Amino acid sequence: MSLLELDHVSVRYQNAVRDAVADASLRLSSGDFLVLTGRSGCGKTTLLNVAAGFVSPSSGMARVDGQPIAAPGADRAVVFQSDALFPWASVRENVAFALRMKGVPRRERDRRADALLARVKLSGFGDKPVWELSGGMRQRVGLARALAAEPRFLLMDEPLGALDALTRERMQTLLLDIWAESGTGILMVTHGIEEALLLGTEVIVMTPNPDTGQQGRITRRIPVSFGRRYRAGEPVRAIRADPAFAAARAELADAIFEGELQ
Amino acid sequence: MSLFTQSISPETLSVATLARIESQGGIDPFASPSHPPRVSAPSFRLPARAISAITLLALIALWWLAAQYKIVSPVFLPGPEAVFRKFITVARDGFVDATLFQHLLISLGRVFAALAATLLIGVPVGLLIGLSTVGRGVFDPLLEFLRPLPPLAYLPLVVIWFGIGEPSKVLVIGLAMLAPIALSTAAGVRAVNEERIRAARALGASRLRTVLHVTIPSALPQIFTGLRIALGAGWSTLVAAELVAATRGLGFMIQSAAQFLVTDVVLVGIFTIALVAFALEWAIRTLDRRLVPWSGRD
Repeated sequence: MSLLELDHVSVRYQNAVRDAVADASLRLSSGDFLVLTGRSGCGKTTLLNVAAGFVSPSSGMARVDGQPIAAPGADRAVVFQSDALFPWASVRENVAFALRMKGVPRRERDRRADALLARVKLSGFGDKPVWELSGGMRQRVGLARALAAEPRFLLMDEPLGALDALTRERMQTLLLDIWAESGTGILMVTHGIEEALLLGTEVIVMTPNPDTGQQGRITRRIPVSFGRRYRAGEPVRAIRADPAFAAARAELADAIFEGELQ
Repeated sequence: MSLFTQSISPETLSVATLARIESQGGIDPFASPSHPPRVSAPSFRLPARAISAITLLALIALWWLAAQYKIVSPVFLPGPEAVFRKFITVARDGFVDATLFQHLLISLGRVFAALAATLLIGVPVGLLIGLSTVGRGVFDPLLEFLRPLPPLAYLPLVVIWFGIGEPSKVLVIGLAMLAPIALSTAAGVRAVNEERIRAARALGASRLRTVLHVTIPSALPQIFTGLRIALGAGWSTLVAAELVAATRGLGFMIQSAAQFLVTDVVLVGIFTIALVAFALEWAIRTLDRRLVPWSGRD
């Protein structure tokens, strides 16, 4: 079991007048699937960047298993909306990147990369250049590349945001499957209300200060169990059709737009 | 259009970048108001290549007429056939103790020696400029000083310092190549996608290995553009470099022919230099497509 903690974290960017994130705390344990959501400018990506070690908090602490987060590391692999793949390398080399950095020998890392590609349903694509793949396939390569690091935590910044609706649904179940198999703690940023409910074990809503449009705070924490129901074998369609899902969607939408509709 | 230009101004660099973007189809479809959408029957239009070919043929015809009817004295302007015959003669029998091919080989050797040396220096300098404030502070003013200098201006100084031997010639060519390579590399480094850097760092790459495995490959397309511009700059510096104490080379051949008013050999030399420049440009573009196929598709 590992634990990633953000403890009263505030972030103010250089030359900024106000904080981007104000006094945010969260705990992510192995097996959790935390979803950060909220309107644009609420600071959710900034908070994820603190967890990744890309951004240092101006006040408060970010820790993994009690150790302060000082820099990015392979224990917290990141999946980006833009996929951030390396176009000069083949699909297999992209996936094997973390293993190469660890010094795993060529043959072994190719074997492990191919196993991961099979897991994201991309068997046989290892030798392709990444720029020949579709958006959904690229995002799966990005996921396999992050998983190759065998991270304790998987941080995902709107990983499905650029995909079409059908691809997105397929990716959601793939994410749930991988989360269930790996037991990794996942922190994901998304704009998708249904996506947040379907995937998360807890949905964390951030809201910007209505006067400044910045100073994002955590305003709601909603425990959810739809993802667990999927893990228990219930089909996604049945979950989406459940009146409880519709009620949760309404509640979450209210929480996200709180302060804006008045 | 050839990108071989003597002055390597920032404009030239950005033109090169634009050319790259354009060649990859990233053009604003509304940028050209001269092509309003039309549904009328297709009219007969000549492609640009055909127009170029016609222009070229017309110029040669004019040249031929001027020579044929002695509008210009043949001492100053020998006709196309005379130049072509001279081309064969110089290729077979040579001019000033060497055949055209030997002159060409010497010149190519100098340019490529300069290119190799400049790549070894210019790429690391470009990396330093792109990666560190100290690097930028140190090298930017030096390159900005060097960039606009015409090679003929520093040639005498190079001769005073390094003598009249082969190193001086390579150095003069190399100096003309340094700024384009270093500045293009720096531009490439600065244009690196920040998320790729972050991705690599979060996959366990150290800062140094991130530079090796992400920054440098990311900058390769721009490094190639710099290389292409540099090769053009170096090749056009050739004549200046071979001004002093050369006994072979295309530039030397042109100059010694000019001293004896052998205009046809001067023209042969000029055409050879132009043709080789064209071939080099083509070769680099091909190499570019082979080595950085992702450029512009990503």
